[in-house]
Amino acid sequence: MTDTALEAAALGKRFGRLRRSAGWALRDCSFALPAGRVCAVVGPNGAGKSTLLALAAGLTAPTEGSLTVLGGPAGQARARVGFVAQDKPLYPQLTVAETLRMGGDLNPGRWDARAAERIAAGGDLDPKARIRALSGGQRTRVALALALGKRPELLLLDEPMADLDPLARHELMGVLMSQAAQHGTTIVMSSHVVAELEDSCDHLLLIGGGRVRLAGDIDALLETHARVSAAADTDLAPHTVVESRTTGRQLSALIRPAAPLPADWRTGTPSLEELVLSYLRNPEAKAAGAPAKSPEESVA
Amino acid sequence: MSTFTAQLATVLRLHRAALIVWTVFVAGCVGYLVWLTQVTAPSLLGPREGCPDGGTDPCVIGLDYLEYSSPMGWVSTFMYYGFWAVAAWSAAALIGRELESGTARLAWTQGVTPARWLAAKLTAPALVLIAGGAVFVPVYRWAWSAHRALMGDDWTFADVFAARGPLVVAYGLCALAVGTLTALVVRRTLPAAALSVAVMIVLNRYVEKYREDYWPPATGTPHGAPVMQADPGSYHPQSHYWPLHLVETGIILTVTALATTAAFLLLARRTVPARTPRQESPA
Repeated sequence: MTDTALEAAALGKRFGRLRRSAGWALRDCSFALPAGRVCAVVGPNGAGKSTLLALAAGLTAPTEGSLTVLGGPAGQARARVGFVAQDKPLYPQLTVAETLRMGGDLNPGRWDARAAERIAAGGDLDPKARIRALSGGQRTRVALALALGKRPELLLLDEPMADLDPLARHELMGVLMSQAAQHGTTIVMSSHVVAELEDSCDHLLLIGGGRVRLAGDIDALLETHARVSAAADTDLAPHTVVESRTTGRQLSALIRPAAPLPADWRTGTPSLEELVLSYLRNPEAKAAGAPAKSPEESVA
Repeated sequence: MSTFTAQLATVLRLHRAALIVWTVFVAGCVGYLVWLTQVTAPSLLGPREGCPDGGTDPCVIGLDYLEYSSPMGWVSTFMYYGFWAVAAWSAAALIGRELESGTARLAWTQGVTPARWLAAKLTAPALVLIAGGAVFVPVYRWAWSAHRALMGDDWTFADVFAARGPLVVAYGLCALAVGTLTALVVRRTLPAAALSVAVMIVLNRYVEKYREDYWPPATGTPHGAPVMQADPGSYHPQSHYWPLHLVETGIILTVTALATTAAFLLLARRTVPARTPRQESPA
């Protein structure tokens, strides 16, 4: 197993080359995700999260740059990568049991039928029920069973929990986390609901406007940012300002300190949601990598 | 190899309904041919009053022969133009719906590469088409030549010409490949089906129109058996049937091969990085 599960170098994907409306869904993305992490891919709708996951799953080819998945080019490690697309596509004409059997047929040598059946059984799913008769949440469960049954080393989940009720969400998140803990599976899951991911993820990839805005270990990212309040006329230099707002005589800001902060500032550690929102509200703020991963960033 | 067999089984399971419809169609045609030849025709040919020689020789009275020749014609017509259905089905159900609904992506993220997926998708129905043809064509050849006196057609009729050999299967395979290619190009179910059928109709009309040009004709005045008219003063005797038939089969199979190759190239271009990135070995 390689140390890096996912590594992008100047990765870009453009859709509709022939059309006038051709646009970049993802551009100039560089980041590295160490193996064994549970990574949240966060960003507004249309930010490029699904494109990134589809590229990692080997479903589309990048227009430029490269994406290394489990040590090889994307698409060459299909057997070791699990993927659940946002709309949870399944064959409507098959039954639950036939769908899982297909998983076995298409993943020779890796398929763990018992694990897949256990996940499906957790939802009281009738194995003879046709997929077309299932609710959205039940389909999500079958799709996850199919993805986990192949015992992936890297699991890519696009908005996995969107149609689940809170109970099922809690249970399936637990299944995912125990999978990650037991087998060292790297999990990458996207969401636009940050709170949904805060408890389970230890790595963050924030995407906005097709670019990586923030990437790294969540604890490290929180530690290297500070929420500060000071007098309105305070000069925030030399710190990197992500977002600042002045109300009356009070200045509140989210900054990346470049030096020890003055004692007369009130400081605090931001929450993950505050951090994410600050970056998303301020597209001009400089992209930040995790300090340990990209030393050139911390000099900035 | 057993992996690929499992993939073929998956394709057949996914398209069980189409497989059943096709099997019933081929079995129905074959059964009907046998019934027409063994039951209907002898009942028309039995000695009757009003026939010459006092009804001792088999003969046909009036338009009774239509009870035999007309259904015989329908069977060959339906089988010949069955490729219309194959073109629509392969564009819509086999490939188009999978691309539109995202289930193709589901398959590609199992342990199957897109190329292997497409190979299984094409191989399973191709084998079914070939098997159907292998049963139908010999039975049709036998039935068609059993009671020539009752038939109003001859070997030059478009459907008869195709149904008496591998050409009828070649059109089916071609429709399969063209349907697949249009679905990959258009990526939407209904437009792909319409386009695929239209392309196959045009191809078939065009190839059929020049059918008599696929082998050098004989010159002079035809005598005996029905002939296919070529240019004025030249014709194809019945002995030219196989060369004409096999050349046309070759043309259709060439189109099939081109469409299949294009489908694989297009899929590869979409899903495989153009230049395989030379990975910097991780430290």
